[in-house]
Amino acid sequence: MAKFLEYVPGNSFLHRMNPSVKLICAVLFAIACFATSNLVFLLALLAGALVLAASCGLGRETAGLCRAVFAFSLILAVVILLTTPHGAPLVPLPWGFIGTGSLLAALTVIVRLTAAAIPLFLVFYVTKMNDITNSAVKQLHVPYKYAFTFTSTVHFIPVFMNDMAGIMEAQTARGVEFDGSLVKKVRLMIPLCVPLLVSSVRKTNSAAIAAEVRGFNLRTRESGYKDYPLGAGDWSALAVCVLVLAAAIVLAVLGTSLG
Amino acid sequence: MIEFKEFSFRYREGEAPVVRDIALSIPDGCFVGITGAAGSGKSTLTYAINGIIPHCYPGDFYGSVTVEGLDTVEASLTDISRVVGSVCQDIDSQMVSTVVEDEILYGLENFAVPKDEIPARVDEALAAMGIVDLRDRTIDSLSGGQKQKVAVASVIALQPRVLVLDEPTAELDPASSVAVFDLLARYAREHGTTVVVVEQKIALLSDYADMLVIVDGGCIRFADTPDAVLAHSDELLALGVNVPRATTLMNALGAQGLYGGPTVRNVAGAAAALKEVLA
Amino acid sequence: MIEFKNVSASYDGELAVLRDVSFTVNDGDFVAFVGTNGAGKSTTMRLVNGLLKPTAGEVLVDGVPTTALKTSELARRIGFLFQNPDRQICCNTVREELLFGFKALGEEGPAAEERVDAIIERFGFDADAEPYLLNRGTRQLLALASIIVLAPPTIILDEPTTGLDFRECVKVMDVVRELNEGGTTVIMVCHDMEVVGDFARRVIAMTDGRVVTDGATFDVLRDGRVLKEAHILPPQVTEVSMILGRDEGCAASIAQADTVPQMVAAIAQELQLEGRAAAEAAALANDVAAALSAETVASAATVVEAKAMPGDAGADGEGGR
Repeated sequence: MAKFLEYVPGNSFLHRMNPSVKLICAVLFAIACFATSNLVFLLALLAGALVLAASCGLGRETAGLCRAVFAFSLILAVVILLTTPHGAPLVPLPWGFIGTGSLLAALTVIVRLTAAAIPLFLVFYVTKMNDITNSAVKQLHVPYKYAFTFTSTVHFIPVFMNDMAGIMEAQTARGVEFDGSLVKKVRLMIPLCVPLLVSSVRKTNSAAIAAEVRGFNLRTRESGYKDYPLGAGDWSALAVCVLVLAAAIVLAVLGTSLG
Repeated sequence: MIEFKEFSFRYREGEAPVVRDIALSIPDGCFVGITGAAGSGKSTLTYAINGIIPHCYPGDFYGSVTVEGLDTVEASLTDISRVVGSVCQDIDSQMVSTVVEDEILYGLENFAVPKDEIPARVDEALAAMGIVDLRDRTIDSLSGGQKQKVAVASVIALQPRVLVLDEPTAELDPASSVAVFDLLARYAREHGTTVVVVEQKIALLSDYADMLVIVDGGCIRFADTPDAVLAHSDELLALGVNVPRATTLMNALGAQGLYGGPTVRNVAGAAAALKEVLA
Repeated sequence: MIEFKNVSASYDGELAVLRDVSFTVNDGDFVAFVGTNGAGKSTTMRLVNGLLKPTAGEVLVDGVPTTALKTSELARRIGFLFQNPDRQICCNTVREELLFGFKALGEEGPAAEERVDAIIERFGFDADAEPYLLNRGTRQLLALASIIVLAPPTIILDEPTTGLDFRECVKVMDVVRELNEGGTTVIMVCHDMEVVGDFARRVIAMTDGRVVTDGATFDVLRDGRVLKEAHILPPQVTEVSMILGRDEGCAASIAQADTVPQMVAAIAQELQLEGRAAAEAAALANDVAAALSAETVASAATVVEAKAMPGDAGADGEGGR
């Protein structure tokens, strides 16, 4: 399985799409997810996102991502469950009740977050880092320094995760027992941030120097060797995403006016 | 030509100078190996060549260092890097790309190499390091030896007149270390590139280098051909610098009056010399 | 005792990185694992101390499968020195770092403090120094010290000399040898064949996730088929003697010399037999023979090199890269 947020080579439609368009589409898709509260529509979006993931052979990575987002959104969902007394009451609470509406709201949050996250993450799995940077610089006119900093940060996430895994392994070998409750695990991991910080400062420093001695400061918008033309597929994808967003907004407006 | 004149340097946060009174001339096309104990100042010497000192690590800079006529204090880091290609010690953080080809392109794009020249430059660099077949591989999927070759290729694509490498084989097994040095030396010979490499594996260095520089306590103790330097094997060991066992063996025989020939620096040399002794 | 019984292993359930590996390491052994990067050596080490569990077969530590042992149990039995000391070091002072292992095992107390004091004294550490400000070699020694302070019966060293200069390498390996002489089992992954030849008594060569051979150090390092299959070069003196041994009429003592003193003695003897430089050769042969009987074969290199260098006697001679 590919490491977190790391490019997986391939030749699927998503792989071949223009990097900037991919990014824009993913953002439009995410906005659409947040614009609407229509559960059926959100479920359709989630299904669409899963189909996209499957189309580029990233089922396993996406499953892992879904688990992580699910765990995170579950916390939010519980909060919503306890604080949104809507619909027919099911469980009475000292400060209100949990109702069918609360359940629906909680479920919506989970589906919405998962659906919104998948395309954003897919972008990094199906696009080479340099292509994201170069295309963003050339076509979206993002200043190179910001684009490079952004992609480098994303690039360093798996590196640091790998470092953390190595550090935890070294401490396990010394008898630190990480298996156990989450609270205990976090308590044990906090002191390990020191070695992680030391190694990341060293790494980012040497990365900066290495980039500088390879002409980083000379880089302009014209420097990129590759061109990123927009094909028919890119335009269609954009159109689909705009339509999805429009549909989401229409549904939202209808939803409020009807409600 | 690289020239150190009365060069001393103290890092801003350091108390004492890390290198003192360095005088050294490296002629064009020379393959130089720098070695010495940890903390001897050997890496600082390479930083002075590629301008990382004083441009990235400020401090007190005395004397002068010129590379191909460029004064490394006065010239900007970017101007120096047009002449000097550097492969840093931590290659994992040096990599800016996901795929090998992009890594080679990176420097070429930055230095605005004309677009019609770029494909040939990429091909040549990949071929020189023997990694044509790795072109579309993700860097993450490569072994340490392959990554090192990519790092070198990404720098030689820029066709620098001087190549500086900081412990390029530290993480590699012996077979990959030899492979990297082999390719590097062949490329340098064919292109007349000056190579300065810091390395702990002295057996490897002495097989490839034209000049060995031994640094001790911030000063140059020896700067000569490998043979001439290795003749002082006892002194080197005392400085904390290892010596190839073949050299130790022949010097031990020499000390006992059993061998009087020239200094030997590798297994082949020792075997040939011993055959003569025994004949 | 550590036993591997038909062990296979993989990461993330993907391609097997280790296939059907079996061997036994007895108490007090000094074993080196050799082979190229990616041959499966580091994976084997992870299996030994249970950081990785086998997908097939069994890894037994003192007869108990690692799958049945708790992390702390394994840490008590096996110390692991990682290649990069910075992953291990996590405390603010040298003293805290040395105490860390006792804390992790829940064994703090006066006895632990005493052992920490003893080790600080022995290594000559500055107890209040900040570990991250020490140089690489000292950090490696600190990482080693923080493991051996717990006195595990077995230690694993993953490329203990990588990134160290010659002097630091000698320091680390001297400590390791002393431990082994005191009965600690040592399992080491090492690329430097000079270090392997100087210290290990047994070599296990690996390639592509399997064991190529397992035997006495120089039996393995002289086996042409093994060298080729595992992509390793023998130590230099061994290689010289192998080249000379190919000639007809080469004396057996030369063809089998593995250390500098052995080779010097063999050549001196040979020249003497041929009647050349007889007087000096005889004297030298006696010298070397005396030196050899006084020292173990493994440390004999020290004798020759220290003789030439009285100022720094004993400190140099081992290691080699």
